[in-house]
Amino acid sequence: MSTSADNELVARAVSGQDTAAFGELVRRHQSHVRNFLRKLAGDYALADDLAQDCFLHAWDKLQTYSGRGTFIGWLLKVAYTTFLQSKRKSKRYAEILESAGQVADQEERSTVQPVDELSDLDKYLAVLTEEERAIMVMSYACGLSHREIGDATDMPVGTVKSVIFRGKEKIRNSFEIKDHKHG
Amino acid sequence: MAEKIKDAEDRLLESLFDSEPVADDGFSVSVVRKINRRLWLRRLTLPIAAVIGGGIAFKPLAGLVAALSNLSSLIPEAVINSAASSVPQLQTVVLGAILLAVGLVGMRMIEE
Repeated sequence: MSTSADNELVARAVSGQDTAAFGELVRRHQSHVRNFLRKLAGDYALADDLAQDCFLHAWDKLQTYSGRGTFIGWLLKVAYTTFLQSKRKSKRYAEILESAGQVADQEERSTVQPVDELSDLDKYLAVLTEEERAIMVMSYACGLSHREIGDATDMPVGTVKSVIFRGKEKIRNSFEIKDHKHG
Repeated sequence: MAEKIKDAEDRLLESLFDSEPVADDGFSVSVVRKINRRLWLRRLTLPIAAVIGGGIAFKPLAGLVAALSNLSSLIPEAVINSAASSVPQLQTVVLGAILLAVGLVGMRMIEE
Protein backbone atom coordinates (compact mmCIF):
# COMPACT_ATOMS: atom_id res chain seq x y z
CA MET A 1 0.00 0.00 0.00
CA SER A 2 1.76 3.12 -1.21
CA THR A 3 2.09 6.13 1.07
CA SER A 4 1.71 8.58 -1.81
CA ALA A 5 -1.67 7.06 -2.76
CA ASP A 6 -2.73 7.33 0.89
CA ASN A 7 -1.61 10.96 1.03
CA GLU A 8 -3.51 11.74 -2.16
CA LEU A 9 -6.68 10.21 -0.72
CA VAL A 10 -6.20 12.14 2.54
CA ALA A 11 -5.78 15.38 0.59
CA ARG A 12 -8.97 14.68 -1.37
CA ALA A 13 -10.89 13.80 1.78
CA VAL A 14 -9.72 16.90 3.68
CA SER A 15 -10.01 19.48 0.92
CA GLY A 16 -13.44 18.55 -0.39
CA GLN A 17 -14.93 16.65 2.58
CA ASP A 18 -14.82 13.73 0.12
CA THR A 19 -16.28 10.76 1.99
CA ALA A 20 -15.70 8.45 -1.00
CA ALA A 21 -11.93 9.10 -0.77
CA PHE A 22 -12.05 8.43 2.96
CA GLY A 23 -14.06 5.26 2.25
CA GLU A 24 -11.20 4.08 0.05
CA LEU A 25 -8.77 4.73 2.92
CA VAL A 26 -11.00 2.70 5.25
CA ARG A 27 -11.10 -0.16 2.71
CA ARG A 28 -7.31 -0.13 2.41
CA HIS A 29 -6.56 -0.15 6.12
CA GLN A 30 -9.53 -1.72 7.92
CA SER A 31 -7.88 -5.14 8.07
CA HIS A 32 -4.76 -3.82 9.85
CA VAL A 33 -6.76 -1.70 12.28
CA ARG A 34 -9.24 -4.47 13.09
CA ASN A 35 -6.47 -7.06 13.52
CA PHE A 36 -4.56 -4.67 15.79
CA LEU A 37 -7.63 -4.00 17.97
CA ARG A 38 -8.64 -7.67 18.02
CA LYS A 39 -5.23 -8.63 19.37
CA LEU A 40 -5.34 -5.79 21.87
CA ALA A 41 -8.92 -6.25 23.11
CA GLY A 42 -9.13 -10.04 22.75
CA ASP A 43 -12.82 -9.64 21.91
CA TYR A 44 -13.72 -9.53 18.20
CA ALA A 45 -17.10 -7.78 18.53
CA LEU A 46 -15.69 -5.12 20.85
CA ALA A 47 -12.65 -4.69 18.60
CA ASP A 48 -14.85 -4.11 15.53
CA ASP A 49 -16.94 -1.51 17.42
CA LEU A 50 -13.71 0.20 18.46
CA ALA A 51 -12.47 0.07 14.85
CA GLN A 52 -15.64 1.92 13.73
CA ASP A 53 -15.08 4.54 16.44
CA CYS A 54 -11.43 4.78 15.41
CA PHE A 55 -12.32 5.59 11.78
CA LEU A 56 -14.93 8.16 12.90
CA HIS A 57 -12.28 9.85 15.09
CA ALA A 58 -9.82 9.63 12.19
CA TRP A 59 -12.31 11.45 9.93
CA ASP A 60 -12.73 14.21 12.53
CA LYS A 61 -8.97 14.60 13.01
CA LEU A 62 -7.87 13.98 9.41
CA GLN A 63 -6.56 17.52 8.93
CA THR A 64 -4.05 16.90 11.75
CA TYR A 65 -2.31 14.19 9.67
CA SER A 66 0.75 16.01 8.39
CA GLY A 67 1.94 13.38 5.91
CA ARG A 68 5.07 12.83 8.01
CA GLY A 69 5.29 9.07 8.58
CA THR A 70 2.90 6.51 7.16
CA PHE A 71 -0.86 6.89 7.25
CA ILE A 72 -1.26 3.44 8.87
CA GLY A 73 1.10 4.58 11.66
CA TRP A 74 -1.10 7.62 12.28
CA LEU A 75 -4.24 5.47 12.08
CA LEU A 76 -2.90 2.99 14.63
CA LYS A 77 -2.18 5.90 16.96
CA VAL A 78 -5.87 6.88 16.68
CA ALA A 79 -6.86 3.22 17.21
CA TYR A 80 -4.66 2.90 20.31
CA THR A 81 -6.06 6.13 21.78
CA THR A 82 -9.62 4.93 21.06
CA PHE A 83 -8.85 1.63 22.79
CA LEU A 84 -7.39 3.36 25.88
CA GLN A 85 -10.37 5.77 26.09
CA SER A 86 -12.85 2.89 25.91
CA LYS A 87 -10.90 1.00 28.55
CA ARG A 88 -11.03 4.03 30.84
CA LYS A 89 -14.77 4.44 30.23
CA SER A 90 -15.60 0.79 30.94
CA LYS A 91 -13.45 0.91 34.07
CA ARG A 92 -15.39 3.97 35.29
CA TYR A 93 -18.66 2.19 34.40
CA ALA A 94 -17.61 -0.87 36.43
CA GLU A 95 -16.69 1.38 39.36
CA ILE A 96 -20.10 3.07 39.25
CA LEU A 97 -21.87 -0.31 39.18
CA GLU A 98 -19.73 -1.53 42.04
CA SER A 99 -20.44 1.55 44.14
CA ALA A 100 -24.16 1.03 43.41
CA GLY A 101 -23.84 -2.50 44.83
CA GLN A 102 -24.24 -4.34 41.56
CA VAL A 103 -21.98 -7.01 40.18
CA ALA A 104 -20.23 -5.88 37.05
CA ASP A 105 -20.69 -8.88 34.81
CA GLN A 106 -19.30 -7.09 31.78
CA GLU A 107 -16.28 -9.36 31.52
CA GLU A 108 -18.43 -12.48 31.75
CA ARG A 109 -20.68 -11.21 28.96
CA SER A 110 -17.84 -10.55 26.55
CA THR A 111 -16.71 -13.17 24.07
CA VAL A 112 -13.99 -14.88 26.08
CA GLN A 113 -12.45 -17.91 24.45
CA PRO A 114 -12.01 -21.12 26.48
CA VAL A 115 -8.37 -21.75 27.44
CA ASP A 116 -7.98 -24.82 25.21
CA GLU A 117 -9.18 -22.83 22.17
CA LEU A 118 -6.61 -20.08 22.64
CA SER A 119 -4.04 -19.81 19.88
CA ASP A 120 -0.33 -19.64 20.68
CA LEU A 121 -0.42 -15.93 20.02
CA ASP A 122 -3.23 -15.40 22.55
CA LYS A 123 -1.14 -17.20 25.14
CA TYR A 124 1.93 -15.10 24.35
CA LEU A 125 -0.07 -11.90 24.49
CA ALA A 126 -1.54 -12.92 27.85
CA VAL A 127 1.85 -12.70 29.58
CA LEU A 128 2.39 -9.14 28.36
CA THR A 129 1.12 -5.92 29.87
CA GLU A 130 -1.31 -3.86 27.81
CA GLU A 131 1.42 -1.44 26.75
CA GLU A 132 3.82 -4.24 25.82
CA ARG A 133 1.05 -5.98 23.89
CA ALA A 134 0.22 -2.85 21.88
CA ILE A 135 3.86 -2.20 21.04
CA MET A 136 4.65 -5.82 20.15
CA VAL A 137 1.56 -6.01 17.89
CA MET A 138 2.47 -2.71 16.20
CA SER A 139 5.99 -3.99 15.63
CA TYR A 140 5.51 -7.63 14.67
CA ALA A 141 1.96 -7.75 13.28
CA CYS A 142 1.71 -4.32 11.64
CA GLY A 143 5.37 -3.88 10.69
CA LEU A 144 5.71 -0.37 12.11
CA SER A 145 9.21 1.03 12.66
CA HIS A 146 10.39 1.95 16.17
CA ARG A 147 10.01 5.63 15.30
CA GLU A 148 6.44 5.12 14.06
CA ILE A 149 5.59 3.18 17.23
CA GLY A 150 7.13 6.00 19.26
CA ASP A 151 4.91 8.52 17.44
CA ALA A 152 1.83 6.33 17.93
CA THR A 153 2.37 5.77 21.63
CA ASP A 154 4.00 9.11 22.51
CA MET A 155 7.14 7.35 23.68
CA PRO A 156 10.81 7.94 22.91
CA VAL A 157 12.35 5.42 20.51
CA GLY A 158 14.65 4.15 23.28
CA THR A 159 11.67 3.30 25.47
CA VAL A 160 9.95 1.51 22.57
CA LYS A 161 13.08 -0.60 22.05
CA SER A 162 13.29 -1.51 25.72
CA VAL A 163 9.57 -2.40 25.88
CA ILE A 164 10.03 -4.73 22.87
CA PHE A 165 13.12 -6.24 24.47
CA ARG A 166 11.19 -6.82 27.72
CA GLY A 167 8.24 -8.32 25.83
CA LYS A 168 10.46 -10.71 23.93
CA GLU A 169 12.14 -11.74 27.14
CA LYS A 170 8.81 -12.43 28.84
CA ILE A 171 7.65 -14.58 25.92
CA ARG A 172 10.99 -16.38 25.82
CA ASN A 173 10.90 -17.07 29.57
CA SER A 174 7.26 -18.17 29.64
CA PHE A 175 7.18 -20.45 26.60
CA GLU A 176 9.33 -22.71 24.65
CA ILE A 177 8.64 -21.31 21.17
CA LYS A 178 8.46 -24.15 18.66
CA ASP A 179 5.65 -24.93 16.25
CA HIS A 180 2.62 -22.66 16.44
CA LYS A 181 -1.00 -22.09 15.45
CA HIS A 182 -1.64 -18.75 13.78
CA GLY A 183 -3.40 -16.12 15.89
CA MET B 1 11.03 -1.93 9.86
CA ALA B 2 14.02 -0.31 8.22
CA GLU B 3 15.85 0.54 11.43
CA LYS B 4 15.56 -2.93 12.95
CA ILE B 5 18.09 -5.66 12.44
CA LYS B 6 15.96 -8.78 12.29
CA ASP B 7 17.30 -11.93 13.88
CA ALA B 8 15.77 -15.42 13.81
CA GLU B 9 13.70 -14.64 16.88
CA ASP B 10 12.25 -11.51 15.25
CA ARG B 11 11.30 -13.50 12.17
CA LEU B 12 9.68 -16.18 14.34
CA LEU B 13 7.73 -13.54 16.25
CA GLU B 14 6.62 -11.96 12.97
CA SER B 15 5.25 -15.29 11.81
CA LEU B 16 3.55 -15.81 15.19
CA PHE B 17 1.94 -12.37 15.13
CA ASP B 18 0.97 -12.74 11.50
CA SER B 19 -2.74 -13.26 10.91
CA GLU B 20 -5.19 -13.64 8.05
CA PRO B 21 -6.45 -10.33 6.59
CA VAL B 22 -9.91 -9.40 7.89
CA ALA B 23 -12.53 -9.30 5.11
CA ASP B 24 -14.25 -5.94 4.70
CA ASP B 25 -17.80 -7.41 4.68
CA GLY B 26 -19.49 -4.02 4.47
CA PHE B 27 -17.37 -2.49 7.25
CA SER B 28 -16.08 0.43 5.16
CA VAL B 29 -19.55 1.09 3.71
CA SER B 30 -21.06 1.31 7.19
CA VAL B 31 -18.28 3.71 8.35
CA VAL B 32 -18.87 5.99 5.35
CA ARG B 33 -22.64 5.85 5.90
CA LYS B 34 -22.16 6.94 9.53
CA ILE B 35 -19.90 9.81 8.46
CA ASN B 36 -22.40 11.01 5.84
CA ARG B 37 -25.18 10.92 8.44
CA ARG B 38 -23.07 12.98 10.84
CA LEU B 39 -22.22 15.48 8.09
CA TRP B 40 -25.90 15.99 7.32
CA LEU B 41 -26.74 16.41 11.00
CA ARG B 42 -23.97 18.98 11.36
CA ARG B 43 -25.19 20.90 8.30
CA LEU B 44 -28.75 20.99 9.56
CA THR B 45 -27.89 21.87 13.16
CA LEU B 46 -26.97 25.53 12.53
CA PRO B 47 -30.01 26.57 10.45
CA ILE B 48 -32.41 24.68 12.75
CA ALA B 49 -30.80 26.28 15.82
CA ALA B 50 -31.03 29.69 14.13
CA VAL B 51 -34.74 29.24 13.37
CA ILE B 52 -35.54 27.95 16.90
CA GLY B 53 -33.42 30.69 18.48
CA GLY B 54 -35.14 33.30 16.33
CA GLY B 55 -38.55 31.95 17.37
CA ILE B 56 -37.62 32.03 21.06
CA ALA B 57 -36.06 35.50 20.83
CA PHE B 58 -38.88 37.02 18.78
CA LYS B 59 -41.30 37.74 21.66
CA PRO B 60 -38.83 39.40 24.10
CA LEU B 61 -37.27 41.25 21.19
CA ALA B 62 -40.68 42.59 20.14
CA GLY B 63 -41.26 43.70 23.75
CA LEU B 64 -37.93 45.46 23.78
CA VAL B 65 -38.76 47.25 20.55
CA ALA B 66 -42.14 48.30 21.97
CA ALA B 67 -40.45 49.65 25.13
CA LEU B 68 -37.95 51.53 22.99
CA SER B 69 -40.74 53.01 20.91
CA ASN B 70 -42.34 54.31 24.12
CA LEU B 71 -39.11 56.03 24.91
CA SER B 72 -39.21 57.66 21.53
CA SER B 73 -41.72 60.19 22.87
CA LEU B 74 -38.79 61.73 24.71
CA ILE B 75 -36.84 62.21 21.49
CA PRO B 76 -37.65 65.09 19.14
CA GLU B 77 -39.95 64.15 16.21
CA ALA B 78 -37.46 65.07 13.53
CA VAL B 79 -34.81 62.65 14.90
CA ILE B 80 -37.32 59.76 15.09
CA ASN B 81 -38.48 60.28 11.53
CA SER B 82 -34.96 60.18 10.14
CA ALA B 83 -34.06 57.05 12.20
CA ALA B 84 -37.24 55.19 11.21
CA SER B 85 -36.53 55.71 7.55
CA SER B 86 -32.95 54.32 7.81
CA VAL B 87 -33.48 51.30 10.15
CA PRO B 88 -35.42 48.38 8.56
CA GLN B 89 -38.37 46.95 10.42
CA LEU B 90 -37.85 43.95 12.74
CA GLN B 91 -40.15 41.72 10.72
CA THR B 92 -38.06 42.35 7.62
CA VAL B 93 -34.83 41.55 9.51
CA VAL B 94 -36.19 38.20 10.82
CA LEU B 95 -37.56 37.29 7.40
CA GLY B 96 -34.21 38.17 5.85
CA ALA B 97 -32.33 35.98 8.37
CA ILE B 98 -34.61 33.01 7.70
CA LEU B 99 -34.25 33.46 3.94
CA LEU B 100 -30.47 33.64 4.33
CA ALA B 101 -30.40 30.41 6.38
CA VAL B 102 -32.65 28.59 3.87
CA GLY B 103 -30.55 29.94 1.01
CA LEU B 104 -27.31 28.70 2.60
CA VAL B 105 -28.76 25.19 3.08
CA GLY B 106 -30.07 25.24 -0.49
CA MET B 107 -26.65 26.24 -1.83
CA ARG B 108 -25.01 23.39 0.09
CA MET B 109 -27.54 20.91 -1.29
CA ILE B 110 -26.94 22.13 -4.85
CA GLU B 111 -23.19 21.85 -4.30
CA GLU B 112 -23.67 18.24 -3.12
